[in-house]
Parts: sequence; C-alpha cells; structure tokens
Amino acid sequence: MSRMGGRKAFDLEWVERWARQVNEDRRLPVIGRFFSGRFVLGIDDTDYLIEVNKGKVQKIAEGLAPNDFGFEFALRASSVTWGKFAQQVPPPMFNDIWAMAHPLHRHLRIDGNAMTFWQNLRALTHMLSLMRKA
Amino acid sequence: MNQHDPIVGRYVYVQCQGKTYRTYYEECGEGVPMVCLHTAGTDGRQYRHQVCDPDYYNNFRMIAFDMPWHGKSLPPKDFYLMEDEYKLTTKFYAEFIVAFCHALDLKKPVIMGQSMGGNICLELALRYENEFSALIALEACDYSPGWWIDALHHPHIHGNEVVATSTFGLMSPESPDEHRWETWWLYANGGPGIFKGDLYFYSVDSDFREHTSKLSGRLPIYFITGTYDFACTPEMTERTAEKVKNSECIIFDGGHFPTSEDPAKFKQVVTPVLKKILALNHPEWRSGSSTSFSDGNRSQTQLGSHGNARPAPTSGRRVIDL
Repeated sequence: MSRMGGRKAFDLEWVERWARQVNEDRRLPVIGRFFSGRFVLGIDDTDYLIEVNKGKVQKIAEGLAPNDFGFEFALRASSVTWGKFAQQVPPPMFNDIWAMAHPLHRHLRIDGNAMTFWQNLRALTHMLSLMRKA
Repeated sequence: MNQHDPIVGRYVYVQCQGKTYRTYYEECGEGVPMVCLHTAGTDGRQYRHQVCDPDYYNNFRMIAFDMPWHGKSLPPKDFYLMEDEYKLTTKFYAEFIVAFCHALDLKKPVIMGQSMGGNICLELALRYENEFSALIALEACDYSPGWWIDALHHPHIHGNEVVATSTFGLMSPESPDEHRWETWWLYANGGPGIFKGDLYFYSVDSDFREHTSKLSGRLPIYFITGTYDFACTPEMTERTAEKVKNSECIIFDGGHFPTSEDPAKFKQVVTPVLKKILALNHPEWRSGSSTSFSDGNRSQTQLGSHGNARPAPTSGRRVIDL
C-alpha cells in the first residue's frame, strides 16, 4: 500500500487500486455502459492515462506516449486537491469534480474535449467518487 | 389503511406581462402565508418535507408553486413560436412572484426562496418591499456567476442527467443519501433547457452588487447558507448580508438544497428564524397560532472500505492491463 503516514501517495499503485474499485462496482456496468474512451487523470506533474471501455477501466498508464493516440479529456489538479477529494468525507469545495473545476474555484482544470466529459458526467462522477475507497 | 400527505394541489391562472400562466401550487395549513420558491430547473416538490410537516403548517399556510415551464406549470401556450431559447429574467421572475401572491390574495406573505429563489429576494426587497413581511433567502448572494453554460442544454448531452449530476456536488456528503438522490431525481425531471434558462437569471441577469446597500431595511431578510455550497459559498452570502440592512446571516453544515437534501437538519436551522418571523405578528396576518417547533435529527452517509493492490513494474513506462 503506497501511503505516506495516512496520506495517499497518488502513484500508479493508487491509481490501480482505484481502477479495480471501478471495475468491481456493480452500478457502472449500467450507468457507464456507453462510456468508452481515454481520459487523463493529472496529479501534480504526472499524467495517468485511463482507458475506459463500457464503464470499466481497461488500462492505466503512467505518462503519455505517442502510441496512445491521445485522449478525449484531462482532469488535472494538484495532489493536495485530489487528496481532499479522495477523503472519506471530503471538505467543502473539494467534494465534486464540477465543484473543483467551477470558475469560482478552479482547483481542477478540464482540458481537451469537454463534450466527452459532460456526456459521461454521471458515470464519471460515480467512478471518481470510488477514489474514496482506494 | 391508506396514508396520505396533507398537501392539497391546485392550479391557479396567473397573469404576468400580458400572458396567462396555468400555475400549479401545493399548500397546507392556514396560518401566516409562506410562499416557497424552488431552485433553478426544478419545482415545488423541493419543499414537500416542509409543506407536510405540522411544525410548519400549524403556524404557516405553506405554499409551494411551480414557476411557468417547471413541474406541473405549463409554458405559455405560444412557446413554440419563441425565437430565442428560454431565459428567465429578473423582471419576469419578480413580477411573477408578486402576481402569484395576488392571484391567491395573500396578505403580507413570507417568502422563502432557495438558490435562484434566494437571490430573487434581493430584487423583491428592492422593488416590492411593501408586498411582503419577511424574506428567507436560502443559499443566496448578490452575484453568482459561472453557471450559464451550453453543456446544460445541448443535443449531444443528456440534459436530465447532466443537470442533476452537475448539481449533486452542491449537497453535503453528509446529507442523507435518500434525500440527496431524491434531489437528484427532481433535477432530472426538468424540461429541456429550463435549468440553463433559469441560470441566465442566476448567473447573468441578477448582478445585485450595486443595489444591496440601497435596500431600506424595512423588510427583514434572513440569509441561510450551507458550507458545501460551491455556487454560493458562505463567504459570498456573508459579504452580501453585510451590505443589507436588517438582515441576519446563518451559516450551517449543509449544502445548496437544504429543504430537500436534509429536511431534519434544515428544520433545526430555520426554526429560530420562523419564531422571529411569527413574533413580527403583522396586523394583516390572521391571529392565532403559537410556535411549537421540534428539532430534527441528522443522518450520515456510510462509505465502504478499500480494495487490494498488487506490485507494479519497476522500470520504463509503466502500463497495467486490467
């Protein structure tokens, strides 16, 4: 377990634990059945590529490579921000992706094709909430 | 044995800006009239817990109506001829609230509005202060930018789900799940483009920063905002309340939809305010009721435990197939 004194390390092992939570979830096969594509989870200076097929994570990768053929959208924030988001009871302004990205707060940046982000918001929101179990 | 809520629902025809609106409302009680204003894109069901609660309806005539285009209230009959998308304006919103109160012949009602229904209280206080006896502005401030965005009404995006999900995070994670998800459901019920159109009022047409300090103070305003409100933060409400004469500001542990996301917590928070309002004892109110509010209990959500990990590769670009 890659934790630093109770604080999550947000390394590839942590991303994998989260991805396995996603794949074990019993609702995502339904609410995420049309969510297929690649998105980036940006944590500090590291981009993790997340490849999703029908609501399940097929592959995760640390860093981006030419053979990835890019991604649809990216959610980038500091590890401090993700740390707050991933708490069992996240603090105000950090409990939700749109809360963190909202122009009033800007704790998280949405890059790339925001259309894909909005189209899959329900499944994505549920997926990311499973970070609280990782 | 059958169980019924005490709510009665009716339709009233409201004239506003030259058009007639068949307007649905629900009510219960016979005391001081209290008109409840729902949030953007939803309807009066957000107040079902308050309208059905004897602690409220034994003291107030609780009334929750659906704005035109919302819930069971229809759009104007010629809406299909409109050349612009639906946009709620400050002028129409305020005039419609006043017209609805007149249609029901209410005497000096209390207004309790939430989110956009809270923000409009500032306009009501400026233009119609003699119409009302007190305002309860939930999750309100004098300027709330950032919400009038096309993603909320776009043919490539499921409007119902995106509207409901984009507002889900406005609620406290500690509000009871069943109430948070009922709130989500109410949001998922709105007509196409109505949430976004309401947010034209909320984020574009309602910059009240210049006029909050001009309010006379004759109409008391009670601001109540939850800590998890990221659209109208506690600081935004506090900054507004500081400028408004004869106002109070209450910040509590909760979210943007206190009446529907945690009715028990909300009752605890609002009860002292309701007692103060009843103490106003306005001569145009019918006499009678005394306060008898009880406090509710709060619930907490339970989250699960985490899963297993396996060792990761140690060199090169690390890729894991799942």
